[in-house]
Amino acid sequence: MHDHPLLDGLRIEPTPGPTSIVIFGASGDLTQRKLLPALYHLSRGQRLPARFTVIGVARTALGDDGFRKKFRDSIKEFAGVDAESDDVAASLTQRMFYMSGELDEPALYDRLAVRLRENGGDHGVLYYLAIPPSAYRSVVERLGAAGLTAAERGWRRIIVEKPFGTDLHSARALNHVLHAHFSEEQVFRIDHYLGKETVQNLMVFRFANGMFEPIWNRRYIDHVQITAAETVGVERRAAYYEGAGALRDMVQNHLMQLLTLVAMEPPIAFTAESVRDRKMDALLSVQPLVDGAHGPSPRIVRAQYAAGWVLGAEVPGYRSEPGVAPGSTTETYVAMRLHLDNWRWAGVPFYLRTGKRLPKRTTEIAIQFRRPPMQIFKRVSPTSVSPNLLIVNVQPDEGISVRFEAKLPGTRMQLAPVMMNFRYGTAFGGTVPEAYETLLLDAMLGEPTLFARHDFVEASWALITPVLERWRSAGPKPIPQYEAGEWGPAEVDVLMAEDGRRWRTL
Amino acid sequence: MSTHASEPLLPRGIETSFAGIDAAFAQVGHGQRLRHPRGLTATVIVIGPRERLLEATDALEHLVGVRAILIAEGAETAPTVRVTDYAIAIDGLRGDYINNAVAALRLSSLPSLAWWRGGASASLEGLADLADRLVLDTADPQAGWNHARTLLDRAAFTDLRWTRLTRWRALMAHLMDIPEVRDAAASMTALRVDAGDAHLAHLFVAWLRSSLEWGGKLTVDVRNAPGGAPLEAVHLGNGRQGLTLRLMPGRTCIEAVASVDGRPGASQTVSLGDQGLAALINEELRIRARDVAFEKALAALDPAG
Ligand SMILES: NC(=O)c1ccc[n+]([C@@H]2O[C@H](COP(=O)([O-])OP(=O)(O)OC[C@H]3O[C@@H](n4cnc5c(N)ncnc54)[C@H](OP(=O)(O)O)[C@@H]3O)[C@@H](O)[C@H]2O)c1
Repeated sequence: MHDHPLLDGLRIEPTPGPTSIVIFGASGDLTQRKLLPALYHLSRGQRLPARFTVIGVARTALGDDGFRKKFRDSIKEFAGVDAESDDVAASLTQRMFYMSGELDEPALYDRLAVRLRENGGDHGVLYYLAIPPSAYRSVVERLGAAGLTAAERGWRRIIVEKPFGTDLHSARALNHVLHAHFSEEQVFRIDHYLGKETVQNLMVFRFANGMFEPIWNRRYIDHVQITAAETVGVERRAAYYEGAGALRDMVQNHLMQLLTLVAMEPPIAFTAESVRDRKMDALLSVQPLVDGAHGPSPRIVRAQYAAGWVLGAEVPGYRSEPGVAPGSTTETYVAMRLHLDNWRWAGVPFYLRTGKRLPKRTTEIAIQFRRPPMQIFKRVSPTSVSPNLLIVNVQPDEGISVRFEAKLPGTRMQLAPVMMNFRYGTAFGGTVPEAYETLLLDAMLGEPTLFARHDFVEASWALITPVLERWRSAGPKPIPQYEAGEWGPAEVDVLMAEDGRRWRTL
Repeated sequence: MSTHASEPLLPRGIETSFAGIDAAFAQVGHGQRLRHPRGLTATVIVIGPRERLLEATDALEHLVGVRAILIAEGAETAPTVRVTDYAIAIDGLRGDYINNAVAALRLSSLPSLAWWRGGASASLEGLADLADRLVLDTADPQAGWNHARTLLDRAAFTDLRWTRLTRWRALMAHLMDIPEVRDAAASMTALRVDAGDAHLAHLFVAWLRSSLEWGGKLTVDVRNAPGGAPLEAVHLGNGRQGLTLRLMPGRTCIEAVASVDGRPGASQTVSLGDQGLAALINEELRIRARDVAFEKALAALDPAG
């Protein structure tokens, strides 16, 4: 956006300059479920430029009309909007176009180039790879070969979805392909956890308040627990999940992002590079997960869900799900203990756990503080003092809670923990934007803070890959099972009990 | 809600005296079982004639995270007070004690916003010292605007008519982002505004005038749209180039079209946004600084109306 006097003091800002979004994989699930509703909401909220076009690309022959129908269906199902009677939807529909073709066919890109020229030479172009990772390479290379990765006027950027590689080697190879055709500033690796309001608020909470940062270290914090629990099973994604598992699907990206946001040092400024440099430092200080000559690290527990009962219904075990091998050893649950080698966190364990088919859907970061050095109420109060907790709820109910001890009213000295809750949904009016809205807009504006940088992705894989190799070389050992609807296998409690701690009850 | 004179402000509240407010709060708080006790973020002080406060009460129920203090100005020194879990209504308080009442009831250490729904414009002086921001909202804004101009160095002012213009202003600015339009801006000197609320229309014109600095060149044609929405349409042009914003027939969306060399160039349709009082006040609650664009528009308005 250019500077001009009408922009002064605008309450809705900023919006990108003229933009075309090219969605590869426009007939797929992600587009339907997340991208199209996000574009609708951005448009409604006046966050899109007046000159704006969406070009969907995939193999299925949909045509402009078919794609527009998909858009209408999508916002009906996922945004509850009846496109027929909605002026914003009607206007956005007119800006949607579709091109079908094989993604490795150069002619497709020639047609795309013509289309983009017709849109106007000054448009910025955002390519969105909503396609299977196996197709990333050919799209990037074809875009490069067709001269579509740079322009005299207007920017060119690319959003790459998860998974970004399946191990260190493949992540490096993908970065290599991307960097052959795009500079790092043009590449936006999405991790939708970073688009969540609470995750961004974690930085505000830590660095815009003077009272938390002084105690945010080993002197006051006993340990940190990060949980990402899903109630769903593998659903229709078995083909992908069988080759991935929880460690790749959740830990390498989402949980590592959350971990570094908690652990990072204060950046010198709220700029993309400064924030991402400090996150990188934190990640590099994580001790290797696999130690020396021993077998699979005892600090990591993996498991798989067996049949059970979740949210009021009986559900099959992982191995009985459609598309899953009967003898599969793919983990649907991982828990681990990490240590960070730096001054702030030496000796403070970080416990991570994530799994499918757990009793409830919740993602949170719980920071448990040390108990006071003296238990002066021990003799007068029958209940023991619970340590202070600071909980960052990432989903579904975004907010921050603090637990502290209070005296129960009455003549006796009796203590009880109380929870003070701040909830995004109720503290400020208005609606909390969906992660994909925030991230799409940031990419259009060229704001990379909430995207993963190449070195972060590689360092994270460097941490995870030895574990995957250890598991592979250990051969097809039986993998612990947990009943669907329970909080993981017994082994995870042992992991905590060894340290004299317990998982938080959620 | 009817505006019957005998209808109490906050009809569902507990009736008490000023001194009994804390006890009444404790009483209403006791019966509640809020699932997530909410964090409070601001005090909203609503001042105005009684019938205009009744209307505001509905809106306050939809605000979250605020304590509301409604004061209907009167002659009482011991007025009737009613209390609910989020609001206190003081009916008929003598004007020179409003400051004292607010000082006793506002949330400490959090921002406060005064929502002025009319009355003697002199009472704005007192409010300027009490609240961080003052939102004017009266049927005839001229006296309030004139008074506000003299108080701009003491308090941050805005007007709900201005809040209603948020989307319109943004659309205008977005169209101006198109290079051909921007290049032609200096020659677009014919402005026509169709509005159901002439004051709002003049505020919009003043904003454009103060932002684009045309001096005397701009010719303005404000047309009354009887029974229409506060703002129906805006056209700024020079014959060949032009920007048109218009409310769509359903009155929930605005369409913006930039025509360049007589052809339609870019266009955009966006939601008008929720124009209810609660949503408008909520928007104002999000603003924490002085609204310099509003102050400039206010300065560019003709004080004679
Ligand atoms: N769905 C989600 O919620 C979600 C969440 C996070 C990340 N992701 C990631 O987003 C990407 C897309 O996921 P999705 O769930 O939308 O997948 P999907 O439903 O299978 O859609 C894949 C899309 O790619 C197109 N495509 C083009 N070439 C293809 C090829 N050679 N093989 C298969 N499909 C091809 C498909 O359309 P045609 O068959 O018409 O060509 C379709 O539009 C994946 O990388 C996935 O990991 C998805």
